[in-house]
Amino acid sequence: MLTVLSNYIDSIRDNLRLDQSSEKEVIQELETHIEDEVKELRESGLSEKEAADTCLTLLGSAKMVARQIYEAHSQGSWTQALLAATPHILFGLLFALNWWQGVGWLLGMLVLVLVMAVYGWWRGKPAWLFPWLGYSLLPVVVAALLLLYLPKGWSWVAILVYLPLALWLLYSITVQTIKRDWLYISLMLLPLPTIAGWFLAIEPVNQLPEHWLQRMQDFAPWIGLTFLALGVTVATFIRVRRRWLRVSVLVFSGMITLTIVAYYTDGRLSIPAFLILMVVMLLVLLSPALVERTLRHSG
Amino acid sequence: MAKKNELIKGSIDSLLLCVIVQQPIYGYQIIKELERRSQGYFKFKEGTLYPALHRLERAGLIRGEWQTLPNGRQRRYYHITEKGLYTLVAKRGQWLDFLKAMNLIIQPAGE
Repeated sequence: MLTVLSNYIDSIRDNLRLDQSSEKEVIQELETHIEDEVKELRESGLSEKEAADTCLTLLGSAKMVARQIYEAHSQGSWTQALLAATPHILFGLLFALNWWQGVGWLLGMLVLVLVMAVYGWWRGKPAWLFPWLGYSLLPVVVAALLLLYLPKGWSWVAILVYLPLALWLLYSITVQTIKRDWLYISLMLLPLPTIAGWFLAIEPVNQLPEHWLQRMQDFAPWIGLTFLALGVTVATFIRVRRRWLRVSVLVFSGMITLTIVAYYTDGRLSIPAFLILMVVMLLVLLSPALVERTLRHSG
Repeated sequence: MAKKNELIKGSIDSLLLCVIVQQPIYGYQIIKELERRSQGYFKFKEGTLYPALHRLERAGLIRGEWQTLPNGRQRRYYHITEKGLYTLVAKRGQWLDFLKAMNLIIQPAGE
């Protein structure tokens, strides 16, 4: 195949953002189409280069074709939407029904999240996997923070062993996910600004842990509400086809949940903190696009 | 030209189902068949064919199957499904009603 035609196929592959098996089928089908077309044009008397140029003109822009194929494949079923929304809904219920203080519920949730993350990863990384994957990485970060509370000396040893392993895990999952589609990283990170917002709003300065627990209890229904809102967001994300709509849904949801945090905590989240969180939310949700671009340019 | 493309875009699902119902057929052959049967009227960016085919497949109206040719190459042939057949009958009916109504209005009275 001529270089211009290979470049055309590569450009479609780069912009498809489908799972590997679908991508392979789409590319194979287009390659067969190009071979048929070029063969017929050559038989009609065109040179190899003329045939390739005519074929590309007839096919149309690679980016447009890739975008349309993406939109044809991107919409998930209602079952997938429900499956993707489930970790947020469970997390929301954990607070709304005040189960968050029960070790049994927390352990059950942790096991379910890990099982679903491993199962989804093993089953070819469908779109519903990424919210589960996001929650499954939360214990990795929390464990790193808890290491700081180990007795002196031990914490340094544990950090030296644990940190590289944790960073390697986070890095390899991020790179593999971003190669597929940066939007899935945003989907994984979606609860992060909300968690940070609640943490900043609830955290008492220089106070006993009991006060912290009391505040958690006071705000639990509203914490639950924000996670239920994230569940609705994720279900909508899975159901819409167009990328710009998917990005808008994520950003809009980030703004709504942070506004809920600010509104229901009666000014405990100051205006500067709220504005900084909004900027952080935009950075968290949109920066994976820049990372993807950098990774592609670096090879 | 842009208006013609818009018209084709709006009817592409019906056009594809009409061609696929005749026989199992692959992408490039669909383009040629549409061109032949419309006497050259239906010419569109070929790249837009595959998104439409994949959309119909995901909607369960057609089914794609890979077939290996004697020379070892593989081609994806599209077959109509039962759901696709029902949809085609419904679309045909709608289209004929639409045409009848359009003709009543577009053709000057007495012709």
